[in-house]
Amino acid sequence: MNAPAPRVVAEKLQHHVIYVSDLDRSRAFYEKLFNLQFSARNHPDSSAAMRLANMEMRFFSFGRYHHDICLVKHGKLKVDNGSMLHFSLTANKAGFDGIRARAAETSVAIHDGRLLASAKPRSGAFWLQDPDNHCIEVLEEIVS
Amino acid sequence: MSLVAYTPPNVLPEPLRWFAPLLKRKWFRQLVLLSPTIARRRFSNKTEDYGVFRPSDVERIGQVSIYVQDIARSKAWYEKLAGLTESRSCGPEPHPLKPGWTLRCCYMSARSHEECLVLIEERDPQGKASVPTGMSFFHTAFELSGNRLEDVFAFAEQAHADKFKRNYGPVRHNGVPPHGDGETGGNGACYFYDPDFHNIEFCVAMDTIDNYRARYGDKKGSDRA
Repeated sequence: MNAPAPRVVAEKLQHHVIYVSDLDRSRAFYEKLFNLQFSARNHPDSSAAMRLANMEMRFFSFGRYHHDICLVKHGKLKVDNGSMLHFSLTANKAGFDGIRARAAETSVAIHDGRLLASAKPRSGAFWLQDPDNHCIEVLEEIVS
Repeated sequence: MSLVAYTPPNVLPEPLRWFAPLLKRKWFRQLVLLSPTIARRRFSNKTEDYGVFRPSDVERIGQVSIYVQDIARSKAWYEKLAGLTESRSCGPEPHPLKPGWTLRCCYMSARSHEECLVLIEERDPQGKASVPTGMSFFHTAFELSGNRLEDVFAFAEQAHADKFKRNYGPVRHNGVPPHGDGETGGNGACYFYDPDFHNIEFCVAMDTIDNYRARYGDKKGSDRA
């Protein structure tokens, strides 16, 4: 008898899509601070799904996958901070230092350490907020 | 604990979900986009139009924390549907942004991603639990084990057998029949609402820099189109 096929499970987080109130403002923020690359635009004049959903999206890549972070603006609904506390971005030592240096050049408030008191302590960690007050934690990759 | 029945405003109404599979038909997409096509406002939005990729300063998404009404209910959902496992639970702890408010956290791990998801119950100073609003993130996506197109179809079948109801998919986010829905990224995907109506995508086989190099060599941006 053949063994049953193994269950398909979640392997890892792959991408995250956040609501923003101003696509251009947030694009400038994410590109400048995190050095992300613009990879695609979905607009109600180019995408049937966006037209039906009354949304517009910008896609950004960390450099390998088509998209890792996406920004979406809803045509009618207002963004808030009531369903997500934060998301974390992990960078290598050079990337972490670069993001930190660029953040220091802006007027964005930088908070050292992890956002959640219960999160595992990391030597390289800080958090800040984007133009819509979404909390972004920046973590230095642990090299084992 | 009494749970509040709340449907966030961004949740797709049921009738729209019935029509969503039609996005896999090119004639339907053309019909939806008829107005911008006639008005000559329609434009290409494909990745090959843009000058990607080079390494950025970010390696990966490390963690996402979401508000839930009931950790036990959500934990069971993520365990059963996605195979996530609980790493640890903590709390209450002070809310980092709201003085006097508290949080309880449950850290969940995927197969090769430790503590990738944090389920959070938030309470005001009077102890009243918050209800997630739905308007912070559109969706968050997990890559499935195997990472092949057939794995997302197997996952969708597995979820259906377990009585989970998809809100969209499985589709492929490109224009290739029979599964392409005209969107971008190339990934196979299916979507589910969790118990708080957070939209959770499960995806496979997203286009990568290697795919584009194979197709276009070192051509950049519009030279690729």
